Amino acid sequence: MKSIRLRLLAWLLAAVGAAAAIQGIVAYRAALAEADQLFDYHIHQLALSLRDHAPGADSAQPGADPYEEQYDFVVQIWSSDGERIYLSHPHVNLPDHARLGFSRVRTGDWDWRVYATQLRGRTIEVAQPMAVRRELAAAFALRSVAPLAPVAALLALAVWIAVGAILRPLETVAEAVRRRGTSEFAPFGETGLPSEVAPLVRALNGLLGRLQSAIDTQRSFVADAAHELRSPLTALKLQLQLLERAQDEPGRRAAVARLGAGIERAAHLVEQLLTLARSEPNAAPLRLQTIALDEVVRQAVADVAPLAYERGVDIGLAARAAEVDGDGEALRILVRNLLDNAVRYTPRGGRVEVSIRRGDAQTVLTVADNGPGIAPQDRERVFDRFYRADSAPGGSGLGLAIVKTIAERHGVRVVLGNAPGGGLLVRVELPLRARRS
Amino acid sequence: MRFLVVEDDPMIGESLRAALRLEGHAVDWTRDGRSAEAALRAERYDLLLLDLGLPGKDGVEVLQALRARKDTMPVLVITARDAVEDRVRALDAGADDYLSKPFDLDELAARIRALGRRHAGRSEPVLEHLGVTFNPATREVARHGVPLELSAREIVVLEALLAHPGRVLSRAQLEETLYGWGEEIASNTVEVYIHRLRRKLGRHFIRNLRGLGYTVPKTL
Repeated sequence: MKSIRLRLLAWLLAAVGAAAAIQGIVAYRAALAEADQLFDYHIHQLALSLRDHAPGADSAQPGADPYEEQYDFVVQIWSSDGERIYLSHPHVNLPDHARLGFSRVRTGDWDWRVYATQLRGRTIEVAQPMAVRRELAAAFALRSVAPLAPVAALLALAVWIAVGAILRPLETVAEAVRRRGTSEFAPFGETGLPSEVAPLVRALNGLLGRLQSAIDTQRSFVADAAHELRSPLTALKLQLQLLERAQDEPGRRAAVARLGAGIERAAHLVEQLLTLARSEPNAAPLRLQTIALDEVVRQAVADVAPLAYERGVDIGLAARAAEVDGDGEALRILVRNLLDNAVRYTPRGGRVEVSIRRGDAQTVLTVADNGPGIAPQDRERVFDRFYRADSAPGGSGLGLAIVKTIAERHGVRVVLGNAPGGGLLVRVELPLRARRS
Repeated sequence: MRFLVVEDDPMIGESLRAALRLEGHAVDWTRDGRSAEAALRAERYDLLLLDLGLPGKDGVEVLQALRARKDTMPVLVITARDAVEDRVRALDAGADDYLSKPFDLDELAARIRALGRRHAGRSEPVLEHLGVTFNPATREVARHGVPLELSAREIVVLEALLAHPGRVLSRAQLEETLYGWGEEIASNTVEVYIHRLRRKLGRHFIRNLRGLGYTVPKTL
């Protein structure tokens, strides 16, 4: 049963019922004790009065029907020589002897309360069925419990109405949620809510806040991307118009070459944007496996080799075999972007050094170039999207942003420092593989 | 004309320089705010093409400093920031015109011509003087209605002289309208162009004032 109202009602009625039962039992016991006292007193008095004024042996025996006269007493009298000389209800099967004082007797299926007294040799016994007392006590107990029935009914009605009224704010919130449009993430009002419901609404508002910031991140990413695409597209437009105006064959060929380079740059930017979008936390989940880092690095070096060749930059690789946990494809992209940056910033004839070293707590991958390096004050900002300390030839401004998102998702640290050759040293610290037991 | 292009994107800057040079103009190109300021203080330019999103010093700061020096050079701002606030800010900082990226080369050229006209105090698009007409848009020169064949550089020299009839331009000034940084100039190039122009336009169209320079007289 899922309804709060119905459950509350059921619990309430159960509680009232239990209270009524306890009330009834207690009242019954108390009434029984009272009745016992009262009737004991009665039979005692009766016995005493009969003793003092007892009828003779020749008194008429009343022919009473015990079933009709439930509240009657049964009297027996014995003479001094033990002979029963009087029995008020002949049909009743009481024992033929008596114990003096109060006692209880059971005959067949009747319980009797008995009092016997003796004077001048004669024994007088008065007996009363216990059933009488019990019925009296039960009737009393019932009367004491009876008022609880209308009370229970009233309570049930009150609960029904009260719960409805108390939970109305919940219905209001539900209505507000139903009416919300898809792009509204403003928090719902928390005033006037019962303290049991407020945590739910507060948690909902927290979720809405997180959704809002995720959507804002997406929106600003799209806006940034569109803005960044303007320059490459402008260049393409200009280059095409220059091609149209070329006046001779060499001029035309130069213009075509420039246009080709412009298209390459735009395509590269779009690629990087897609890569960045895909490596964001909200995108596809990582496929974590055990991978050979040295193999990933070799593949990344192969990816960058054409660019390095074109720019006359040498790449040196000193890689020890090392296993790490991660998404192989994502790590390859990370290394490739670091290498791409290193190659672009290294002057012709320069060298990029890549190494993998295994430490105690972690595996360290380093990429060192002999370019201009990055000034300490820029080292935070270079990881921002599209930030470039100065215009690098052909870069998209996204390389380090991609490195950052992939590193964060792997729990990997990326540190920028100075290379011995004067350029930039990038240190990627990967935790060692957890030992498999 | 001599242009300063301030643009950090290498491909855009290169294309702008190439496009302006196609028409024979002299173009200097810098890629950040500080070197732009240095160039503006060191040389005289006919027009500034200014990108706003520059590394280091922002384009608007360069513009504000320029106007604070009371420099009246025409400035055309080109930028990817095209929100209304950005346009208003640039124009109020002293820009004469604003083009947002991506832009069309033809439109850029037309706006440059418009700025050049205004700066010369002229409103007619086509220059006309003593029977010679020059259409800056089409680069066509005609004398008494007869079209003339002139090289791009010859047209640039003519344009500079026709801009202010009566004003004297020295050889050095004319060289500046023809050659940007790093371009080789033969020492008598200007004389050669003047000679060719006189041949096509008439000897008296351009006067040589010894020691001062060249001028197109207001009347013959």
